Amino acid sequence: MRSLRSIILPMGASILAILIGGILVAALGYNPVTVYGSLISGAFGTGINIGNTITASLPLIIVGLGIAISFQSGLFNIGADGQYWIGATAAVWFGYHFNHLPGWFHMILCIVVGMIAGALWAGVIPGFAKAFVGSHEVITTMMMSYIGILLARYLIEGGPMQQKGFNPQSPEVAQNTQFPYFTQGLMQSQLSLIAVAIALVAVIVVWFLLYKTTLGFQLRTVGLNQRAARYAGINVKLFTVLALCLSGMFAGLAGAVQMLGVDHRLLDGFSSNYGYTAIVVSLLARNNPIGVIIAGLFFGALTTGGQNMQMVSNVPAALTDVLTGLIIFFVACERIIPQVIGWYRRRRTLKSTSAA
Amino acid sequence: MKKQFVAVAASMFALTAIVTGCGTGAASNNAATNGSNATNSAGTSNSAGTTNGKTIKIGLVTDIGGLNDNGFNHLAYVGMTNAQHQLNGVSTSVVQSQSESDYVPNLSHFAQNGYNLVIAVGYLMEDAVKQVAKEYPKTDFLIIDDNITGIPNVASAIFQSEQAGYLAGVVAGLVQKNHQLKGLNTKNVVGVIGGQDIPPVDTYIAGFQQGFKKEDPSGKVLLQYTNSFSDEALGSQYAQNEISQGADIIFPVAGGCGIGAINAAKSAKVYAIGVDTNQAYLAPGTVITSATKGVDTAVFDTIKAVQNGTFKGGVSTFNLANNGVGIAPLMQGVPQSVQTTVNQIKQQIISGQIKVSTTVQK
Repeated sequence: MRSLRSIILPMGASILAILIGGILVAALGYNPVTVYGSLISGAFGTGINIGNTITASLPLIIVGLGIAISFQSGLFNIGADGQYWIGATAAVWFGYHFNHLPGWFHMILCIVVGMIAGALWAGVIPGFAKAFVGSHEVITTMMMSYIGILLARYLIEGGPMQQKGFNPQSPEVAQNTQFPYFTQGLMQSQLSLIAVAIALVAVIVVWFLLYKTTLGFQLRTVGLNQRAARYAGINVKLFTVLALCLSGMFAGLAGAVQMLGVDHRLLDGFSSNYGYTAIVVSLLARNNPIGVIIAGLFFGALTTGGQNMQMVSNVPAALTDVLTGLIIFFVACERIIPQVIGWYRRRRTLKSTSAA
Repeated sequence: MKKQFVAVAASMFALTAIVTGCGTGAASNNAATNGSNATNSAGTSNSAGTTNGKTIKIGLVTDIGGLNDNGFNHLAYVGMTNAQHQLNGVSTSVVQSQSESDYVPNLSHFAQNGYNLVIAVGYLMEDAVKQVAKEYPKTDFLIIDDNITGIPNVASAIFQSEQAGYLAGVVAGLVQKNHQLKGLNTKNVVGVIGGQDIPPVDTYIAGFQQGFKKEDPSGKVLLQYTNSFSDEALGSQYAQNEISQGADIIFPVAGGCGIGAINAAKSAKVYAIGVDTNQAYLAPGTVITSATKGVDTAVFDTIKAVQNGTFKGGVSTFNLANNGVGIAPLMQGVPQSVQTTVNQIKQQIISGQIKVSTTVQK
């Protein structure tokens, strides 16, 4: 019953958001059927589009896993975006150095370095600050996120990583570290099976870690009740640092995978916002690693479908953001609805008792 | 998260708008008619017969700056809209990229759907255009502000903005040297605000410095970079800083950030020079002239070439000679002699008598 509800409620929230979005679109003078049609066909219409949707959802899924770990451990890692870019930057730096290494080893090296960089960015300052002086991780991860993104920007805007003689961008990572694309009938979709495999392995690892190991049990215990955890002899400080490290590690992994799989270099912009969207992905999935796949695909589909929506039905880009906003709003509301129902029931019982 | 919050706020606002719209009935109706008008006009241009008897489809992919950047994305859109209105049989579509990873999917989406010309705005899309253009050799591509060579179906438009900057510098120099505008101080200082230390910005600045020094060798050019193309408050702050150092003509080359600088110049009752497009409308009486960059011309010409079947790959350079760059008409109150000198110098640049360097003096 409970698990059924945890599936139905987020889905209901999404459907309600889509319905209201439809009314909105209609009120602005567009045909909602065409608009949603172009959204869906843009996301799933052809093999290429499906490829694009999966590609767009991979970073969301991987960052979302990290967020899920931190949420399950009772920590709000808001700074995953910075951890993502630090992971990406580290992976790119290693990607265009050490070119004499064999391809597979160079690839793994980049990924591992990305993961470590992300983990350290989340774990060292926010983790230890939370564990030992109690400064709130919402503030510290957020601030570190800005520092991370601005550092990455500096590095390519006149800093040591800028490609000489070019507009702000880093050199391209070595050819043999780039993930090969899965080109069968998908042409330009930039989908690589290696990235998909990494995401799936990450999901399984997180699920196993959280639900099948002592470590995961301890993490979740800390998340549920710190005092009880301390009473049970769990080293809460250690697990706080560890949870943020793990969380940042997955954000860094996503950055590395995206750089090797899609972007191949740091480009000026840094506007992907995966770290923020992934928070919603994780919330929608109720911090369940398996659910993160579905929620990630859903948001990936919104991204690619949203771009197609603009092209086909000439709807402004901002409307896709509005739609995403509505979904977030209703997912958040989902916690309110049971409370409203509870309040209504109490009132009714109160009335019936006073009438009797 | 910030973006999502904004989105939530926007959606709540829109919801209220619907509710009130239903109450009055008129508002939502109006919106609906406007919307359908827009689609109708697009529809008619589709069905309109052409001289060649076929409709060409043009797709525009903006970079992450979006359409309202008051810069090249906007100008490219203007060029495309002009083509749609003035040439028969041109249908257009726009997509605004939200992140760097969208470039390849957006470009290939248009190509895959049989668009004749796909316009990529900005050097950020260089890799993406190279990759996609090879996969879709039948589609023509135009990239703005970047030079890609060796791919037959890719045309690149680059602008010699240093020439426009030079003319703007000449105007500033003349006006400063002879104190030809009301309220100019005697320090002869002009302030330049760059968005970023990158070629599309620096070419303007380099030209401006040389033009200014030619007319007013003892004058001083201040130069600062904001590292933002969007933050108006920051632009305003930088402008105030330069004004406090005595600058009374501000030349911002910083997109939306520069608009803040122009507004600051207006409030401080000093003068400004606009960039990319004629920005006189932002602050009449403050903006002396604007150094313009004909992204719209480039886009329009390329669309026309595609329609006539004369599209050619390779780099096209836009400069003073082909009106690809230039300066906007001077503000009222500027003496005619300035205009005369500018015209002379323009001819000298075109004939090659004056060579403008693209290197910024720091």
